[in-house]
Amino acid sequence: MRPDLVNDLVQLTGEHLVLVLSAMAVAMLIGVPLGILLTRRTGLRRWLLGFASVMQTIPSLALFGFLIPIPFIGGIGKRTVIIALVLYALLPILRNTFVGIMSVDAAVCESAVAMGMTSGQMLRQVQLPLAAPTILAGIRVATVTTIGTATIAAAIGGGGLGVFIFRGVASVDTAQILAGAVPAALIALAADGGLGWVERKLSRA
Amino acid sequence: MGGTKIIAGIAFLFVSSLALLLTGCSGSQAGGVLRVGSKNFTEQVVLGEIIAQHLEHRLHQKVERKLNLGGTLLAHQALLAGEIDLYPEYSGTALVAVLKEPIQTDPAAVLGLVRSEYARRFHVAWLDSLGINNGFAMVVRGDNKKLETLSNAARNPKPWALGVGYEFEQRVDGLRALQNTYSLRTSSIKTMDLGLLYRAMEDGQVDMIAANATDGLLSKLDVKVLEDDKHAFPPYELCIAAREDRLNSVPGLREALAELSGKFTDRKMQELNYQVDGRHRPVADIAAEFLQSIEGTK
Repeated sequence: MRPDLVNDLVQLTGEHLVLVLSAMAVAMLIGVPLGILLTRRTGLRRWLLGFASVMQTIPSLALFGFLIPIPFIGGIGKRTVIIALVLYALLPILRNTFVGIMSVDAAVCESAVAMGMTSGQMLRQVQLPLAAPTILAGIRVATVTTIGTATIAAAIGGGGLGVFIFRGVASVDTAQILAGAVPAALIALAADGGLGWVERKLSRA
Repeated sequence: MGGTKIIAGIAFLFVSSLALLLTGCSGSQAGGVLRVGSKNFTEQVVLGEIIAQHLEHRLHQKVERKLNLGGTLLAHQALLAGEIDLYPEYSGTALVAVLKEPIQTDPAAVLGLVRSEYARRFHVAWLDSLGINNGFAMVVRGDNKKLETLSNAARNPKPWALGVGYEFEQRVDGLRALQNTYSLRTSSIKTMDLGLLYRAMEDGQVDMIAANATDGLLSKLDVKVLEDDKHAFPPYELCIAAREDRLNSVPGLREALAELSGKFTDRKMQELNYQVDGRHRPVADIAAEFLQSIEGTK
């Protein structure tokens, strides 16, 4: 590999991981509780799932265009990128949390109620453990797509491996494009494998 | 026996269709139909259409349009092969991408060198400039009343928050040429998507951006292009490049094409680009209107 690329590789990979991890942390903190809320508030269901689906369809450059003028959350740089990545990651987490809890066998829930569990106890001790593999599957999908999507951070001065890709495209330099695309793909494969392993552990337990 | 017959049959079909194809090509080249080409982005397509309509109007003959050719080398190859008779090209692009010469910044020297090398190597003539120079352009918000040139900007007491695209950042004749020539003081340099740069400047996230001189948005937003008074950036003058054999054999072609020289400005080209990209109007209508507007000035 070319020495000029190696120098940047470490820094850009680091930036990329920071973007993905921050976005995923925020997306999980929002997505899982909202998903639980959806199982109890039927009225919210259509609106929230609809909102999350609409977000998926907005092209990233258009989304950045909207976000730049918004005070506090917008502007150019990492913050705007993380907001956009969270919006994209929300749907799989939200939907899988909701579906996972709803598909817990009704008989199991009834017996939990018969044993005198409160709804909070039932959630923590029955529904969440049984839904965990499904929820994790959603997080896994969201993580893998976020690793790929985070390359668009370079479009708005947010750094990450996308910088290689944008530079390479601008200067017709295939080596540079690959220097961005290949590590991003490797990170995605590693994350998919790792989370898949956790998922199998959870479904066996 | 049967197998060889089939193979012979296929070979015959192949050779005869190839021959048909070849005679078809050379036949139409010798004939009267003029073919105008262009590369595959808005400005090129608009100019291709303007040239085509102008020739139809002046020479009273059908003009075939081969617009949207994918890139410089494809357009160039098509011109050399006689698949097209002419297309609009940029002097800087021809110098670097086609002739593989090092970058130069004097507009007259670049056009002169391109013209003589094209004539010598390819028998292709470069007509006089259309009046457009689509090189890098440093742009500031319109409220910077006192600034006219990049030298003015370099003397600004406040350092600039600069926004640039990836191509500008990477090219030796981009960001580095700017800093070497003007020693512009910067507080930050943000690299981002070209389309988002305008948005970021409007919103005050950056104060100066590197754009292209004929971007459609320049005609619409309240912004100001600073003059490159020390010629830091290489010239990208738009000229029609045409095959010499066609210029000599088609009566009136050279004169008709020369009528378009100097009829454009960067500003006019910005507006034409904006009509297509911003207003989504049909290229043919825009070309017809433009030709009508210059009709009076002849």
